[in-house]
Amino acid sequence: MTAMQKERILIVDDSEMNRSILADILYGEFEITEAENGIQALSILQEESGKFSLVLLDIVMPEMDGFGVLAEMNRLNLIDNLPVIMVSAETASSQIERAYELGATDFIMRPFDASIVHRRVVNTILLYAKQKKLISIIEDQIDEKERVNSLMVDILSHIVEFRNGESGLHIQHVRVLTNFLLTKVCEKTDRYPLSETDISIISIASALHDIGKIGIDDHILNKPGPLTDEEYKIMKTHSTIGARILDSLTMYKDNPLVRRAYEICRWHHERYDGKGYPDGLSGDKIPIGAQIVALADVYDALTSERVYKKAFSHEKAVEMILEGKCGAFNPLLLKCLAENGEAIRNILAKPTEKVLRRELRGFTDALAHTKAGEVASDRTLRLLDYERMKYNFFAAMTEEIQFEYSVATDTMTISPLGAKKLGVEEVVVSPENSEKLKEIIGGDWFKTLIATLEKSTPEKPEIRYEKQLHCNGEYRWHNIIVRAIWTDEIPPKVDGFIGKAVDVHDAHITITELKENATHDPLTDLLNRAEARAQIERRLLNYPNHKYALACFDIDFFKQANDTYGHLFGDKVLKSISQRMTRSIRASDICARMGGDEFLIFFEYDTDINPIIARIFKSLCCSVDKFDVTISMGVAEMNVVGESYEELFHRADLALYHSKQSGRNQYHLYDDSMKDVLPESNLTAIDAPVGDENKED
Amino acid sequence: MTIEECYAALGGNYGDVLGRLRSERLVQKFVLKFVDDGSYKLLCDSLDGGNIQEAFRAAHTIKGMCQNLAFDKLAKSSSELTEALRAGDEANARQLLPTVVSDYEQTVRAITEYKNSVL
Repeated sequence: MTAMQKERILIVDDSEMNRSILADILYGEFEITEAENGIQALSILQEESGKFSLVLLDIVMPEMDGFGVLAEMNRLNLIDNLPVIMVSAETASSQIERAYELGATDFIMRPFDASIVHRRVVNTILLYAKQKKLISIIEDQIDEKERVNSLMVDILSHIVEFRNGESGLHIQHVRVLTNFLLTKVCEKTDRYPLSETDISIISIASALHDIGKIGIDDHILNKPGPLTDEEYKIMKTHSTIGARILDSLTMYKDNPLVRRAYEICRWHHERYDGKGYPDGLSGDKIPIGAQIVALADVYDALTSERVYKKAFSHEKAVEMILEGKCGAFNPLLLKCLAENGEAIRNILAKPTEKVLRRELRGFTDALAHTKAGEVASDRTLRLLDYERMKYNFFAAMTEEIQFEYSVATDTMTISPLGAKKLGVEEVVVSPENSEKLKEIIGGDWFKTLIATLEKSTPEKPEIRYEKQLHCNGEYRWHNIIVRAIWTDEIPPKVDGFIGKAVDVHDAHITITELKENATHDPLTDLLNRAEARAQIERRLLNYPNHKYALACFDIDFFKQANDTYGHLFGDKVLKSISQRMTRSIRASDICARMGGDEFLIFFEYDTDINPIIARIFKSLCCSVDKFDVTISMGVAEMNVVGESYEELFHRADLALYHSKQSGRNQYHLYDDSMKDVLPESNLTAIDAPVGDENKED
Repeated sequence: MTIEECYAALGGNYGDVLGRLRSERLVQKFVLKFVDDGSYKLLCDSLDGGNIQEAFRAAHTIKGMCQNLAFDKLAKSSSELTEALRAGDEANARQLLPTVVSDYEQTVRAITEYKNSVL
């Protein structure tokens, strides 16, 4: 199962041989512990059940049989976390049924097949491991949900607090006190059967006790002096208003938090003696949550400083409450309160969730004030306006085309100048179907862009590419940068995009030209010497088994033609020759001007080179303005001279020299008889008296 | 004597056991172990002492082992005995016992012979 630690299996069977067979089947992959009867098995499990991943259990055994073991495992709550596979010769379906009812995971009948035992053991262990993982995932999720719940409640209750003009700590104190008193009360009595979860839910719900005050008029709520009878009557409705708010959440009516909050809202002004409002409930007819919140509410009011009073000590507060000056409460609760002065002081002094609260304060501040006054919202709007203005200003100034698209509205917004430049509206609805945009960017631009963005990730949402945009009648190169907007969903989706297109046409053209110049001969547009060499060497390296040949030629009596007819004529001849060259070879072959009137052709051939070279030679001889152009050519084949560019070029040059020596206007394939004709450097000396153009290299 | 001949001699099915346990070494190991198991003695002693419960468990264990090892002949007779004992039918059990005894002895004889030939 794992290389790190073997899973441990407990084998329980009274027959040593049966245990031994099972142990042998599982040996190596698992740690095996053996027990020879039910009692022994249980004592092992009681001591260290957590160490085992599985139990293999026989049924018929002395001392305690398999069913007994299962029953005990149920009693000890072991059966839920530790799978048990029964292994037995029992075949009666009632026995098998009974084992399953007692919580056995599986039943293997004797005689068993070794591989099936092995497979079932592995499967069961894997299944339980998976289940454990799932349980922990769900626990995490519940935890997270609680946290979110509690945050929302905090936000809500702070809104109430701010309207209420209470200190920010009151709600927090009531919550902490509620939690504390509930725990204490449950320790003292089992009159209120509350689980830990109940206690935590009631504590969270306590924060909502005054939510109904949202419905009370500001001037009553924040009236500096005492309330008139009429006003007090209105004030008292806050408990029913709060309850009504919660009751109207029909979708959540059965949610435990909402249910507890309802009880607290409605009944936190009831009195234990039945003289409270709104329903006059008495004793334990008042839900315990509401009873405790009522007490916590009063206690915190007494022990906190207010504008109109200083803070009373715990003792003084308890004394006042016991005297019945602040309401009537459950004696049991009073006892819990009175007994725990020290502990209560400590928990209230604890600076809980300080950071969170500061953030909350800012947030709720804004929320609370948008309703009360205009100060905050004015400022926010001004800030937003300012940002928008800033954005518009820069967008208007820039040459860039800025754009923004949202999937939700299927609308693309383009910066004003950008829209003008492209000749489209600033807002384009359903850009995918806009003919105008198709014309500018290309038919499938939208689909392609979305597909590309979907391949990006929330961590790296940006893509860049160069593209020609068709605007104002011409195609211009643009540098396009687009950023996907990803949603927070899992998995995240592309929600839209923002981006810009920068016109880089001039720079693009310049760079293309520079690249072209660096590799091409400007007069004939053929490759230059260096580029030809580089390309040929690449070709030789990448396709070692192909048959290549290299031909060099120059134009006979070119210098004379130049001298006689002038350089412009010379250029014309060179251009004409290079055009003929490119026409007589395949696109994949390489031709270059090596300098002066010397040219190179590098080509691939299959079978016989002679007809090819004859055809090329013939096609290059022509007449330009009555000047008959002839050439002298030398050819070197790779299979004769070897595979390096140097060799090919050198031998072709020797063959070219041989052609010249033999009277020009001809070609020769290199063979070793030419090896000892003059070295290249001397070629010029021989060549010169004849009056031909000097070689430049 | 080969293990197959041993199985033939004791009325078992070697093909079956090898198919299930997948290893001749394992089969050999457990066949040799069978004679050391105390269940048969426990069965006889319990019946002598009139302890039907204990006798049932012992017979049940023998049946289980025989099934695992594909000792078909002894598996059949011990299985019948197990059911008689489970039902508490002592008279029937005593009638069935001699077959079990003779099958058991046949089995032990074959295994002993096999053991002597391999060791």
